[in-house]
Amino acid sequence: MIGYILTIQEYYKIQGKFYSEFEFFNCIQDINDIWFLFLSDEDKFQIEDTEWSWILNLPEKEYISKPSPERPY
Amino acid sequence: MILASHGIIGSQIASFDADALAFFNRVTTAGGTLSTIEKQAVNQLVLDLKANGLWTPMKAIYPMVGASAAACAQNLKSSSFTGTFTSGWTFASSGVTPNGTSAYMNTNCLSNNVFTQGNAGFTVYRRTINVQNGNSKVDFGAASIGTALPIVYFKGRSGNGRFESGMWSYNTSQGAFVNTTNSQTIGFYQVHRTSNTLATGYNGGTSWITSTNSNTAYTPNIPVNIFLAAVNDATLGAVDFNDCQYAFASISDGLNSTQASNLYTAVQAFQTTLGRQV
Repeated sequence: MIGYILTIQEYYKIQGKFYSEFEFFNCIQDINDIWFLFLSDEDKFQIEDTEWSWILNLPEKEYISKPSPERPY
Repeated sequence: MILASHGIIGSQIASFDADALAFFNRVTTAGGTLSTIEKQAVNQLVLDLKANGLWTPMKAIYPMVGASAAACAQNLKSSSFTGTFTSGWTFASSGVTPNGTSAYMNTNCLSNNVFTQGNAGFTVYRRTINVQNGNSKVDFGAASIGTALPIVYFKGRSGNGRFESGMWSYNTSQGAFVNTTNSQTIGFYQVHRTSNTLATGYNGGTSWITSTNSNTAYTPNIPVNIFLAAVNDATLGAVDFNDCQYAFASISDGLNSTQASNLYTAVQAFQTTLGRQV
């Protein structure tokens, strides 16, 4: 899955921030601890004329997930 | 006469249940819109739930209508537990679809506030599901380490690639989790704990698995909200992201077999009215 890659500064700028009343950015780290953001087509349309439009110009990369952590459930 | 002369016909003036109307107003206030058929379907769903004594046990009902985050975030049951969505969801008239990588819905429903020991239930209506090996994919989840292991989750699939519906367990040891292979992975799935020694999984309205492992009391050290399409792990954050399309989801008291069957009938009729039944 292709996603936008973020620097740590960019991550702190957007993580948990709301771009609509009911939607917020959620980033996730890949296997190399690089922060990724995945946006649906609707998300992209929503932010393209907003203060968050710079996200759409971030570089993109294929995401490789971390192994699932050990858990008792 | 005045109504007729102005082209307003009496049959066009809808009469909605008060709770349904309140939901419609919440959607509108939030900036969402509902079609006439969606309103009619939701109204009938409310009437059916009330007629079958199912309205009161519900804590949160997300009918996933309106094809927007604003509409789908609204709880049909009340103004409590309005949800929020992460980035990465797709909203359509057929339901809501997370990306399976980073997307979840925060129900803002705190597990240890809404549930009591031995009494809780979840349902989801899955319209699509993708075959993937790898990590587990959870429908509802909240996990926090306490004196025991308080976990509230309803798992759609296990990490070994098999389609399984795992049993929810409101705090217990590993032994209380019951998994089984079920080839039907789309449709209406329910899990209800109705006592400290009985949890039952339903495919549609039919019981297909039970767990009689004992539940024990616990004290969670970190209360957490219940997530839809992921587990909210108090230590790890959101994990086990799901990617199926949801056309309904609910959090409730534990329902008995009669209630579960009636709930399925009501929800299936709701989906059929909207043309999105599976």
